[in-house]
Amino acid sequence: MLRMAEALRRVLNLGSSAESESEYTAEAGSPLLLLGGPGSGKTALLFAAALEAAGEGRGPVLFLTRRPLQSLPRGRGAALDPLRLQKIRFQYPPSTHELLQLLCSAHEARGPAPSLLLLDGLEEYLVEDLGPQEAAYLAALLLDTAAHFSHRIGAGQGCGLIVALQIQEEGDSGEALQLSLVQRYFPAQCWLHVDASGPGRRCLRACLDPGGQGPRAEWWLAFRPDGEMTVTPWPAQAGKPSSDKGSSSEGQP
Amino acid sequence: MAVALSGATLPAVVEELLSEMATAVQENAQIPDEHLLSLKFIFGSSAVQALDLVDRQSVTLISSPSGRRVYQVLGSSGKTYTCLASCHYCSCPAFAFSVLRKSDSLLCKHLLAIYLSQVMGTCRQQKVSDKQLTDLLFMKKKQAVQKV
Repeated sequence: MLRMAEALRRVLNLGSSAESESEYTAEAGSPLLLLGGPGSGKTALLFAAALEAAGEGRGPVLFLTRRPLQSLPRGRGAALDPLRLQKIRFQYPPSTHELLQLLCSAHEARGPAPSLLLLDGLEEYLVEDLGPQEAAYLAALLLDTAAHFSHRIGAGQGCGLIVALQIQEEGDSGEALQLSLVQRYFPAQCWLHVDASGPGRRCLRACLDPGGQGPRAEWWLAFRPDGEMTVTPWPAQAGKPSSDKGSSSEGQP
Repeated sequence: MAVALSGATLPAVVEELLSEMATAVQENAQIPDEHLLSLKFIFGSSAVQALDLVDRQSVTLISSPSGRRVYQVLGSSGKTYTCLASCHYCSCPAFAFSVLRKSDSLLCKHLLAIYLSQVMGTCRQQKVSDKQLTDLLFMKKKQAVQKV
């Protein structure tokens, strides 16, 4: 049973004060797909989840991305804890072929199994002329790899899986098909929308749909110029300027 | 929200059917007719084909020392298809077509055969090395399980 992206959820929930143990149950879990346009904070959120998981005292975090991060997002908190950073292993498969190799051979690696598997930029691997079968294969292999890590971890929460996928507003039908196929493998999805930006400051809205394992929830994320991220649950956001395309989701059960 | 075809889970009605079948099989070593009817109702012609694959012991669970596993199913045409153990993926053309493209099937007959052989307890087992398992997962075009 794959774990709900606990780390990501905790990152999002921790932003609020007086947050009781949330409405989501921690045991059953789903792989999580993080979706958003360019500059919508996916990488930053993924990295925040990595830091969170790295601080848990369980296994390392495996962070896969095509190109090294230009700068390490600050996440929440004043400084990057070097002990946590050490537990995040970055790997940079340059092509879809290399990524598939990495996933297929993940069981050959020795050492402690990761407690969280992250992939940033799935769209860069999907774009290489992948038909539906190959797109589904890649998504399914990601699940299978995380399932194997969970199996190696044994009892407990297992290995989480969060994958970030950039979507374009004007995508073509091929991309739409790929997206819908990938979504089949990720019951839980979190959409990131840019709400407002100013010089050095980004404000985003995150909408989490746990796919039947809890109610939907929204958060308001703000990135300060120094990179620090603050998180607030959406309904509690009282004095926010209403750029409000999001109010349609209020009244959801 | 309509329940879209999931790559990872079965609809509750299918889970329940498989669970009831498992219980009945433990008592009788046979699938009751009512369950067969339900199976055909849900899966159509794939049900009969999958049952045939199970009868012929076509499903093999392959594992390596790492504990990672994969399934292989010997198709009716003599070709072997590879299926992931943790979620719904099969290398057969029908999966690509009916399940992925047309979205009118939940499972191909090979994936269904895997579920049924788990219920019936008729899965073959095979051990391979970690490296061999990597190759099987990679699903290169020329794929054959070495018969031990």
